[in-house]
Amino acid sequence: MIGRRVSVEGSGSEALRELRRVRRRHYVEQIDVMEVLYRIYLALFFGGFGLAIVAGAIHETPVTPEALAWMRDNLAASIGLVVAVGVLVGLRIGSRGGPLAIEAAEVQYVLLAPLDRGRVLRPAALRQLRTGAIAGAVLGVVIGNFVFRRLPGSPVEWIACLAAFGALLPASVLGAALLASGRRLRPLLAGALGLLLVAWSVADLALGVVTSPATMLGELAILPLQSGTEAVLAAPGAIFAVALLVTGLLGVGGILLDAARRRSALTAELRFSASVRDVRAVVLLRRQLASERPRRRPWVRLPAGLPSGHPVWRRGLQSFLRWPVGRVLRALVLGLAAGGIAAGAWSGAPIALVFPGLLLFVAALDFVEPLAQESDHPTRRRLLPVDPGSLISWHMVAPVVALALLILAGAGFAALLAGDPSALGLGLVICAPCALGLVVCATFSATADPYANLLSTPEVQMAMTAAPVGVGALLVAAPLLLAWSAERHGSSGVGAAFSAVFVIAIAAVGAAAFITRRFVKRDFERVSA
Amino acid sequence: MSAETPLLRAAGLRREYDGFIALDSLDLTVGAGELVALIGPNGAGKSTFLNLAAGLLESSSGAVTVSGQLAGTIEARRDLSFLPDTPVFYEDLSIAEHLGYIAALHETEDAAARIEALLEGFGLAEWDDALASELSHGMKQKASIALALVRPFRVLLADEPFDGLDPPSRAVLFDLLAEARAGGAAIVVSTHRPDVIAAAGRCLGIREGRLAYDGTADPAAIAEFFDDEEIAGSGKAAGS
Repeated sequence: MIGRRVSVEGSGSEALRELRRVRRRHYVEQIDVMEVLYRIYLALFFGGFGLAIVAGAIHETPVTPEALAWMRDNLAASIGLVVAVGVLVGLRIGSRGGPLAIEAAEVQYVLLAPLDRGRVLRPAALRQLRTGAIAGAVLGVVIGNFVFRRLPGSPVEWIACLAAFGALLPASVLGAALLASGRRLRPLLAGALGLLLVAWSVADLALGVVTSPATMLGELAILPLQSGTEAVLAAPGAIFAVALLVTGLLGVGGILLDAARRRSALTAELRFSASVRDVRAVVLLRRQLASERPRRRPWVRLPAGLPSGHPVWRRGLQSFLRWPVGRVLRALVLGLAAGGIAAGAWSGAPIALVFPGLLLFVAALDFVEPLAQESDHPTRRRLLPVDPGSLISWHMVAPVVALALLILAGAGFAALLAGDPSALGLGLVICAPCALGLVVCATFSATADPYANLLSTPEVQMAMTAAPVGVGALLVAAPLLLAWSAERHGSSGVGAAFSAVFVIAIAAVGAAAFITRRFVKRDFERVSA
Repeated sequence: MSAETPLLRAAGLRREYDGFIALDSLDLTVGAGELVALIGPNGAGKSTFLNLAAGLLESSSGAVTVSGQLAGTIEARRDLSFLPDTPVFYEDLSIAEHLGYIAALHETEDAAARIEALLEGFGLAEWDDALASELSHGMKQKASIALALVRPFRVLLADEPFDGLDPPSRAVLFDLLAEARAGGAAIVVSTHRPDVIAAAGRCLGIREGRLAYDGTADPAAIAEFFDDEEIAGSGKAAGS
């Protein structure tokens, strides 16, 4: 042995504790009070603004008895489905080295030291739990504060149940992730386990029963509505979440160091990209974190010459045909969830109609990938003997077609859930204009220069980043809200939506023209420079 | 552990990455007091082997043992020191704090004297209070080497440790490796440098994930293995 060890047992652990103390002290010393106050101000500003909008949009009329009956029968299973999807996401993250983002130096020096890795990593996991649980509980309190005004049950009951659910949801997702990483589940197995839980929850929703632990946890969120057996079933749901968390925490030391090292590097880049609001970089890094790579072989090879038309349109389809399973499933889940939420919102909470647009915007960020790549490589683009405006316009065709189909799938799902075929008709009316609008919004986000507004105030920068997301949410919500309102007044919902999509289509074409002009201008400026 | 047990042993070691075989059926042993140069073209599998032996990677099949213990276990971590090819530091600790911390984590006896000697040896004494971000590439490399050597070890794995070092620091590192070797440590150094190959008592050559050469720094054999005039030249120098 080169060098000698001291004979005092546990001095390594003491060194670890001492280091943590020193680093905490360094951290506290480096905190800029003004910066912290400014962040609090921003959070209050945007949080208060959001709350004011939601509070203004929610009216306090109690829901109809039909809506209440629907909620009692289906809401727990619907929330359970969200829990199951969360657990699936957690398992997938865990199977790829998450959820902990460990510093490279911590891996090199601490995890390779002769210390119990569980004891080293558990504090970091508990910190993540604390952040997630507190955020979830606060959100639960806020939602509970709105819900008790429209649903039976006392304010205290609603706020307590939703706060508990809000804390347990992130706990179960974190627990699933820790379980998968600590037990070294392979991505395929982790995905299969998660999908099993999702399928179980879907079956609960379809059959109107409460058998899945995720549905049972969903019962906790609506406990004030339930009585008898359903109310009792909330307890095993909570136990499921806690058991998942405890099992995950106990096995946290089994983490794969290679995956942890890879994740630590990517997470650092992701944090930086998020801090400068570089949406494109965030999308790309998130894909790397999820090991999401295009398929070596496409799902289907396009025959030569098909589809006819511009080669860029064919290139877009070829890109979609190489989507990995995860991305295909994510797009499908987002489309179906958008339809499901729209169906639920239709029956009594129209404010929730903003969510389908948000989900479809996230899907659109994947659909505009070929266009975003063109933006990533301006030199390559400039070397093409093609007018850049025409190139970018053609790049929007394939995403619009694909997204329109996804919207139709969501509408079909909504029609199935609501038992009303007119939802499909509404989907047919809105799919193309909304797809075009969402693709334009996603293109704005994916091709924006994150450093263009660095001299603006943070409020302006955040507003610029949030604008395409907000517009995307509103352009789907607007025709749906008009249709909902028209139907409430005995008019045709499809007809009302048609007038809205006409405006959306014109605005989207105008915005698309603006984007293509922006590319032409950028290329021209580069050539001139 | 018996006296004959090699300090580092790989048996049927295989590692795949998404269908790509980085290391295949690797069998090797390194005993106490050996300084082994691990050579091979880029992408041959040298770093993969070192990472597997350090416990940073999991093998697809086969195993590596350190002092008879499976790589990655607490016992193996106690005996093995790993020097990565890219220096890794905490952003908010000085070099001296790093050394003190690593020494304490490994329960090093007489840590202060050891730290002082390493800082002096590598010319880092004046930089002991500096953060890593304030150091040049070469200084970071020296600090990284000091971090690998400050703690007790039986096996030292070093991934291209001489890269970026100035001649005096190279001399210091050669001396420290010789000292460790004399003290009975098993040392494996991944390298492309002729002077390191020449100094090593034994050479292991990996090509396409397989052990293709195991012998002395014989110029002809290395030249044949490497197809590299520079290294062949060094082999001649070593042989002469």
